[in-house]
Amino acid sequence: MVVAYLLTIFILLFLNFLLPRLLPGDAIIAMYSGHEMVMTEEMYAELIRMHGLDLPLHEQFFMYLSELAHGDLGYSYICHASTADLIMGALPWTLLLVGTSFILSAVAGIVLGVESSWRRGGRFDRSLLTFMLLLDGIPSLALGITALTVFCLHFGWFPSAGAMTPYSGAEGIGHIRDVLWHLVLPLATLTLSMIPGDYLLIRNSMMLTIREPYVLTARAKGIRERRIKYLHAARNAILPFATRIGIRIAYIITGALFIETIFAYPGLGLLTYHAISNRDLPLMQGILTVSVILVLLINIVVDMMYKKIDPRVGYAY
Amino acid sequence: MHIRPFQEFKKDKIGVAGLVIILFLFTTAILAPVIAPHDPWDYSAPSFQPPSKEHLLGTNDIGYDIASELLWALRTSILFGIAVAAITCTIGLVLGVSAALIGGTYDMIVMRLADALLAIPTIMVLILIAAYFKPSTTVLIIALSLVMWQTTARGVRAQTLSLKSKLHVKAAKNMGAPTSYIMYKHIMPELFPLYAMGFVTKARIAVFMEAGLSFLGIFDPTTKSLGIMMSYAMRYLYLDVWFNWLLPPVIALSLLIISLGLISYAIEEIFDPRLRRNNATPI
Repeated sequence: MVVAYLLTIFILLFLNFLLPRLLPGDAIIAMYSGHEMVMTEEMYAELIRMHGLDLPLHEQFFMYLSELAHGDLGYSYICHASTADLIMGALPWTLLLVGTSFILSAVAGIVLGVESSWRRGGRFDRSLLTFMLLLDGIPSLALGITALTVFCLHFGWFPSAGAMTPYSGAEGIGHIRDVLWHLVLPLATLTLSMIPGDYLLIRNSMMLTIREPYVLTARAKGIRERRIKYLHAARNAILPFATRIGIRIAYIITGALFIETIFAYPGLGLLTYHAISNRDLPLMQGILTVSVILVLLINIVVDMMYKKIDPRVGYAY
Repeated sequence: MHIRPFQEFKKDKIGVAGLVIILFLFTTAILAPVIAPHDPWDYSAPSFQPPSKEHLLGTNDIGYDIASELLWALRTSILFGIAVAAITCTIGLVLGVSAALIGGTYDMIVMRLADALLAIPTIMVLILIAAYFKPSTTVLIIALSLVMWQTTARGVRAQTLSLKSKLHVKAAKNMGAPTSYIMYKHIMPELFPLYAMGFVTKARIAVFMEAGLSFLGIFDPTTKSLGIMMSYAMRYLYLDVWFNWLLPPVIALSLLIISLGLISYAIEEIFDPRLRRNNATPI
């Protein structure tokens, strides 16, 4: 796995460091051409010096790495702020949205998948499966837009933008309620778009686990049904889910990008959208760096946890 | 393989439903130039007309006919689905089979690259690439294919490795069959379920990505695309245009992705009979 992580870092460096320098023409023009500003001689010289473009390539690379290590991700001339500050302002909201949604959808997907496979072929299983296949087909984009038009614009039950009411001055319980009220719709749509994937994965894996002899043994011993279902069968059926956590995280981040844009929720997704509309390349590079590092860290944690979930992996070392 | 895929598919209601929807959308998309009532790139009536006989879904902010736009946008989606799926499956097949047969360092590099691509949120990479290159349709199709081959390659490699050690392949080898013959005659046909599955799944992701990326505004705005339609309609929601401008692309995109999902589920069930709903073995 270490090689894969190194390759990931390499792809990241390639995109952020080499690509702008390898492109024909001027790297400064390529990066800042979208900025609606007058590029004066001094500014141009300043940018050349800031990116170290007057140095040889390997020195530029070390300079880039040391800046990265110091948490310096560049400067956005459009927002007149350091990219790192912009990202750190948005990151907590994304973590709140993505983290909660990931946990909720995993729990719902696992429970529904286990129950459904336990009654396979029955009416509950058939209708739930059809429903999930249909829900799986509705992309997060469509789900979010529909929720926004119906619940925010038509009924006006939920706010259509932001993560909290500005200048409300609410504190304590009132503030938490306000944040939750803004979170409900983005969270619900993101979770709904994630559940079918988890459900189908767990259901399929349960279908194979149920046939294992140890389930029959457990049944022969007269163990209670709930115990067999969750402690004997589901515990093993969850393994493919655990190996796919890293992939699911990358997937949910994609979903969050659209959901945040639709509901104008001030996380990394909306920041990305603004960066695209303003052609703010330094900001895009910063967001890419942060999201890749985040996903890598989660993958490393999952790898370590996996040995706990499936002790057989640990024995192999 | 003792499965007759077409007979099994016909019995599967879910798969047939998916196939009917996709054929319908496909025909409409192919016939778009013939059945579209107006030129979707040209002013045909005043802006924001409500639906009428002349303009089935009304007109948009610059007076283009929305129904015609929708048909052409569907064409773009389907083009992306087919092209990206075809390229991705080819890359995945070539890399997967060669990794399994060559092995060694080459195998390791290809597979670790696949792992790396699985972990990265590829949409961020695509956004950055698009920001630099201002992509045309072709460039975007290639860029999408380059970041999507990993699952196919992994599946193909695993399957090829297990086939390589099967008796009939060993027998052919002992009889003196050249590797290319074994590849062509024994390995490729048995990988068919993987291509079929891979093609449909990738088409599905490609359709979604195209709509999503153009919704975010990184695609050429003169192209007709479901995502671009949605993003423009969202800007004029206060004019109550959601039922004739926003909803149609949302429904079209959902129908397309649902039908592909149904087909892929049916294919998975056919080739993995253990998953079939009707052969519930009592415990």
